[in-house]
Amino acid sequence: MKNNIKVQRAIHNFTQQDLAERVNVSRQTINALEAGKYVPSTVLALKLAKLFEKNVNDIFELEDTD
Amino acid sequence: MKTSYLFPHRLKTISGILFVLSFIAFVSFYTFEQYGNFEYKAKVFAIIGNDGFLGKNDFFGWIENSILDEILATIVIVSGIVFAFAKERHEDEMVQSIRLHSLAWATIANYGILLFCYLFVYGLPFLNVLMGAMFSQLLIFIILFRIKMYRFYTTTQNEE
Repeated sequence: MKNNIKVQRAIHNFTQQDLAERVNVSRQTINALEAGKYVPSTVLALKLAKLFEKNVNDIFELEDTD
Repeated sequence: MKTSYLFPHRLKTISGILFVLSFIAFVSFYTFEQYGNFEYKAKVFAIIGNDGFLGKNDFFGWIENSILDEILATIVIVSGIVFAFAKERHEDEMVQSIRLHSLAWATIANYGILLFCYLFVYGLPFLNVLMGAMFSQLLIFIILFRIKMYRFYTTTQNEE
């Protein structure tokens, strides 16, 4: 699964730490998400979408391998 | 996400120290104990009791036994379980996924080792294998989980 959290984060001018605190996870988790090493739960995906005021589909995208 | 089965984070350091110390004590106890020089006899309640290999089994009675190993095993198991399942500094869903991953691999590795030992260790030394099997899964899990968490915390890739 691909995501553009890094882009969204830049648009909203958050650091990884800011974003982590707002959605209540650790900074390392945000880092792993951005690196595509971790697929978030539905709850976390929805929290991120709400924070960025986007649809989940605009942030996360399925890949061919999924 | 809420999890109900994890112990509070404040117990982690103390249980970790206790686990390492008691585990070393337990292993050295079984390494050096054969001359009976670390005995501390006490009356204990036994559901099944048996003195020696050929004695008769006693059911639901009081027997005399050296209890040092029981005390050590209790400390090892209790502190080990608390340490293994204590909350992390920042408990989140990725930590949970790492924990599950480590637990699954620890189970697979543990039974791999057990099967290997079952097939290639015979006779009395197999008792040592059974003894080790009491703690191996917990130990493998703790080691795997700590390594993975160490890697997780030291993710260097930082902000752009």
